[in-house]
Amino acid sequence: MKKRKTLQTAEPYLWILPSIILMCIFIVIPIFYVFKMSLSDISKAGVIKGFAGLDNFIAVFKSPVFGIVLKNTVIWTVLVVLLSTILGFILALLLNNNFKGRKIARAIVVFPWATTLVVQATVWKFIINTDYGALNTLLMKLGVIQSAVNWTPTPEAFFAWEIACGIFVTIPFVCFTVLSGLQSIDSSFYEAATVDGANYWQKLFNITIPLVKPSLTVSTVLNIIYVFNSFPIVWTITKGDPANRTDTIVTYLYKLAFYNGKQDVAAAVSVVGFAILLVCASLYMISTLKKEDA
Amino acid sequence: MGNPISSLELNKPGALKKVLLKVLLYVVVIDICLVILYPYFVMFCNALKTRPEIFSMEGTVFPIKAVWNNFKEIWTLAPMGRYFLNSILISGGSTIIAMICGIPAAYALARMKFKGHTAFLGFVIVSQMFAPVVLLIGIYKVMSLLGLTNTILGLVFINAAFNQAFTIWLLRGTFLSIPAEMEQAATVDGCNRLQAMFKILLPVAAPGIVTTLIFIFINAWNEFTVALTLISTETLKPLTVGITIFNGYNIIEWQYLFASSLFAIVPVVILFMCIEKNLTSGLTAGGVKG
Repeated sequence: MKKRKTLQTAEPYLWILPSIILMCIFIVIPIFYVFKMSLSDISKAGVIKGFAGLDNFIAVFKSPVFGIVLKNTVIWTVLVVLLSTILGFILALLLNNNFKGRKIARAIVVFPWATTLVVQATVWKFIINTDYGALNTLLMKLGVIQSAVNWTPTPEAFFAWEIACGIFVTIPFVCFTVLSGLQSIDSSFYEAATVDGANYWQKLFNITIPLVKPSLTVSTVLNIIYVFNSFPIVWTITKGDPANRTDTIVTYLYKLAFYNGKQDVAAAVSVVGFAILLVCASLYMISTLKKEDA
Repeated sequence: MGNPISSLELNKPGALKKVLLKVLLYVVVIDICLVILYPYFVMFCNALKTRPEIFSMEGTVFPIKAVWNNFKEIWTLAPMGRYFLNSILISGGSTIIAMICGIPAAYALARMKFKGHTAFLGFVIVSQMFAPVVLLIGIYKVMSLLGLTNTILGLVFINAAFNQAFTIWLLRGTFLSIPAEMEQAATVDGCNRLQAMFKILLPVAAPGIVTTLIFIFINAWNEFTVALTLISTETLKPLTVGITIFNGYNIIEWQYLFASSLFAIVPVVILFMCIEKNLTSGLTAGGVKG
């Protein structure tokens, strides 16, 4: 009898055990290693030579490059998330209308979401090329421009295109999350508002936006995490060059670890990245909890 | 279907306004679709050009003469067949492992009360914050210890682990949307928990399970960064990393790069179109309920 009871209390844990083991080995232990390595002195071959205290972190913050990298990461994350959220939301409003070919339009919007980022970034790299890029060719054939335009005269311009590419691939996710939120809104709300004489914008701000807010929150939080951690776009288009001017935290730490053999410093950069994400996540949690209290 | 925005937008103020709005809607939507399709158009057209044509000063939008042979040549120039097989093995393997671990966990979260229930759910959500790329150094270390660097099995485990959060999240939502009474009735009829799950819950939850399955498959198929880092042997690379063979340091063979890219994305885009609707409602539903 007692044995059976123990089995019963233990049962749920048996059900979640495989999942826990999987995540512990391949997520938790790597996290542990990253922290350990960030505090160690590591040889180029990757052997831990000893405890280094905060030396690696000091090296990170003393590096003149890290300021640029950090600034780029913030610009990249904020612009991509913000603009793709606004544009995705508008696109969702459009697609929520009844029109012929709506199914086809929806299917087309799926494309950038389903396409692997390397491929998407590679095509954009080709499109914006000055010498033989598709955009110049197209605009010249259409007569919009007379001679080839250099779309990427500065590192900043390259970075702007990378941001544009990031927005391009992020819009579909926002669009579909909002769309599923829109479609769950009871149409009687709108009917009642129409009876009361509300116009389009009043309905948008008083009914639509508040009711799709949960969907928007989900997509925004997930996007902050994805975009912050996004590697392939910058890597494919510029590899963070020239002179780290287009690097974000992830491409910077990748180069440190796997090109320059500075695993210890790279680990410290990782930890700084965690810290930033953690702050974002907690701010988000605090703000939602506050709203629930009110 | 009752369509709130359209019915309100195109409601009464005159037929002309109604028609104009409709036309405007079409123009905007068509333009957006054209922009979205543009990269694919570029990819396709340039996959059919010769190398000199791509680099010519003149520049062409459409190929002068479609070189279909490019699509054939990539299979001999690069081990495309191997890349394909590797991608299938990696995606298939990680999907299976993610499901084997994820289904019971999601079931426990949806149907059982236990100490640490919330803590586990929190752990699952927080684990999403750690993208593999930030952990690459740590992952590399663990993989070396396990002897899994430069192996397909290593990528299978990594992809399965980093997709656990989504698997559990989506499946828990699916299970929660199915009333527990059906399984309870089956238990009264003498089924044990496992039988009730396999005979009742899983068949009813099949659409949600298929959606989750395909989503994880696609995520693993599209994964690039970990594969780039862990795999160094050419014949072990998946498509996403393999096709960059045409993107050399000095010469880029655009025509081959695009031809092989099309092979890498077409199956996935089609799969994705099938699940898009279920997937998005699953993601947000989980969010609202969580």
